[in-house]
Amino acid sequence: MKELYKDKFTSVDDIQQRFEAAQYICSEQIATCVYIAHNLQKPVMVEGPAGVGKTELAKTTAQILDVPLVRLQCYEGLDESKALYEWKYAKQLLYTQLLKDKLGELLEGASGLEQSMERIHNHDDLFFSEAFLEPRPLYKALHEELGCVLLIDEVDKSDPEFEAFLLEVLSEFQVSIPELGTIKAKIKPLVFLTSNNSRELSDALKRRCLHLYVPYPDEKLESRILTSRVPELSDTLRKEVVSFVQQVRELDLKKVPSISETIDWAKTLLLLHSEQLEPAMVKQTLNVLLKFETDIDAMGDHLRTFINKAHKRSGR
Amino acid sequence: MQQTLEDFYKVIRAAGINVSPSDTIETSRTVALVGYSDRSILKNAFQVSLAKSETEQDLVADCFEQFFSFDTFSAANDPHSNNTASASDEASEPQQAQSEAPQAQSELAKMLLEGDTASLAIEMKKAAREVGLTDIWFFTQKSLYAQKIMQKMGLRDLQNDIAAMGKGDCPSSIAQAGELRNAKEFLAEGVKDFVEQQLSMYGRNATRNLREDHLKSSKLSNIEQRDFHVMHDLVRKMAKRLSTQYSKKKKQDKRGQLDFRKTLRRNVAYDGVMFETYWKTKYIDKPRLLVMCDISGSVQSYARFLLLFLHSLNDVMQRIDSYVFTGNLIPVKDIFEKYPVEQAIDKIMADHGMGGSDYGTTLLDFEDQCMDAIDNKTTVLILGDARNNFLAPRTEVMQTLHLRAKRVIWLNPEPTTFWNAGDSVMYKYKPYCHMAKTCNTLDHLDRMLDDLLKAATS
Repeated sequence: MKELYKDKFTSVDDIQQRFEAAQYICSEQIATCVYIAHNLQKPVMVEGPAGVGKTELAKTTAQILDVPLVRLQCYEGLDESKALYEWKYAKQLLYTQLLKDKLGELLEGASGLEQSMERIHNHDDLFFSEAFLEPRPLYKALHEELGCVLLIDEVDKSDPEFEAFLLEVLSEFQVSIPELGTIKAKIKPLVFLTSNNSRELSDALKRRCLHLYVPYPDEKLESRILTSRVPELSDTLRKEVVSFVQQVRELDLKKVPSISETIDWAKTLLLLHSEQLEPAMVKQTLNVLLKFETDIDAMGDHLRTFINKAHKRSGR
Repeated sequence: MQQTLEDFYKVIRAAGINVSPSDTIETSRTVALVGYSDRSILKNAFQVSLAKSETEQDLVADCFEQFFSFDTFSAANDPHSNNTASASDEASEPQQAQSEAPQAQSELAKMLLEGDTASLAIEMKKAAREVGLTDIWFFTQKSLYAQKIMQKMGLRDLQNDIAAMGKGDCPSSIAQAGELRNAKEFLAEGVKDFVEQQLSMYGRNATRNLREDHLKSSKLSNIEQRDFHVMHDLVRKMAKRLSTQYSKKKKQDKRGQLDFRKTLRRNVAYDGVMFETYWKTKYIDKPRLLVMCDISGSVQSYARFLLLFLHSLNDVMQRIDSYVFTGNLIPVKDIFEKYPVEQAIDKIMADHGMGGSDYGTTLLDFEDQCMDAIDNKTTVLILGDARNNFLAPRTEVMQTLHLRAKRVIWLNPEPTTFWNAGDSVMYKYKPYCHMAKTCNTLDHLDRMLDDLLKAATS
């Protein structure tokens, strides 16, 4: 098994810079974590609220390392046949039908059941070879020639059985297929697991991973992210948007807006040609930021104070 | 450096984070990779490899700050070191003249005189390691360890020096002896600070565990109000553990009956050849629990804790109905959901508490309100002392209940010998309970509910 990727991260700083070039602004903690994961080849368990860029982290890493991203979306009822491999039953069936004649030829002259069986045995397990194997994400990830980034998304949504199955994959980077034997990774993939904490994951799984918690960004980081993601945004408006969103996060809401919502909102405001936050405009576009009717209602009283504060922050 | 890392793992463990040997190996590799040059990167590295949840990350960060702080001797030292420096400057001249005057011999004395705090700190840490300071558990060990460290650092030699220098006639020596005496005080202070700081890291869990162990096994009626929040944490932990253990939805897959319709539909693609089978899945029901808690005057001291437990159970279990009673049966599920725990308990005690209990009325109420909902999956739990104030016990309701419910369990805070005494009618109810036991400590409660839930889920 080859160990390393063609492209390598040399230091934590290096990662931060290259991520920034790829429009992903990451904190030092994230960079350190990726650095360790990449060099020690350990999976990373990324936790945090929805929309803070957990999935994006894996995507960007793949982009920078110039390797494919293999994504496995977890859900209740996900099993090996959907995550690892499956036999192409239809193809097997079709081939047996088509090859009926050939089978006849093969068995010509054989007398008795035993001899026929013997002959078929000599021809290997034709129908259980890789040609009839439908590769699923995990299998694909192990088979990538140049390594890959494997993203196991929302692992907390999967069943405990599947989690147990993942243990072998994550610690040994190999899987056992009864018909084909054990398959080892060509290059160990860089694995990211994301979780929204909808259920507590087992200690065994946690133990095998580095644990990264991505919180909501602070004002400075969010401002940098906006600069990178929505460069057309004017300085004043950016400051106002960031200040406003930061204030909204303080409220007791059902769904607190995260970075992805901030970016969407900034884009919306840009599209509507706003120069600054206006109460009317904010009210109309609030549904981009907040996803629940009750949350929008709760904002009602605070809207004006928040906007005023945001104006002050931007120095107007 | 390995020793330092191991000490750090000890601190992390003391903070209540589980660090397994394989974790330590991995972390050591991580540290070797990132190096010690950048403090914040090192901290991040520890955080990602040792912590397993968000709260643990914060804990690791705290421990890191505490463990890798090097400010020993620095704060208190400033005025002192100037003092020493000037003193020794003055002293150096005459000392050369009178070389026969006794001088400071020991390493420690020299360091103290030079005000070399850095080497002092290093010496102290070395000594601390030698005496095994990381094993410190309780605050009572503080002075013992401080003394041991001082000894290891060469306290005896220092004292000999002081004594020798104080004896001579040379004024500079005597002055220096006084200087050293002050420095010794300063050193003792520093070591004490250091030991205290270490205790707060290494002994963090031990003291708490001791207290919690004590609380778990002492009678609920003897626990004081000020320990309420500790109890609350304990009870919540216990309830959480019980509930995760037993409320797990067990899915039985691929066994039992074949679901023919779904199997056919799935295999249309294969010309009706059944490659993929679809089995009828069976879900095991979560246990349903109905709890009745006596809050009358006679069990007042227990009631708060029982309610606390009930509240915690409400938090962690979905299918639970809770009632309190003195006479009439009062559902409290709403109150538990609406208010935080202490408020809820206060409200229940204020609104419905006190008064003499009347189990007969309660049981009649129960027959009216709840009996229809009792089926063979329900476990009924009664918490009370069965002191009926000589009223009619209404055992016939208990009889019906016994027949209908899966299990009826009675937990009585009084020991068995009291069950027949006075106005207790426990012996009348006992035949209709699947289990009747004494329960007056948290440990009892834990064990009981373990049994209870095991039976309810099996």
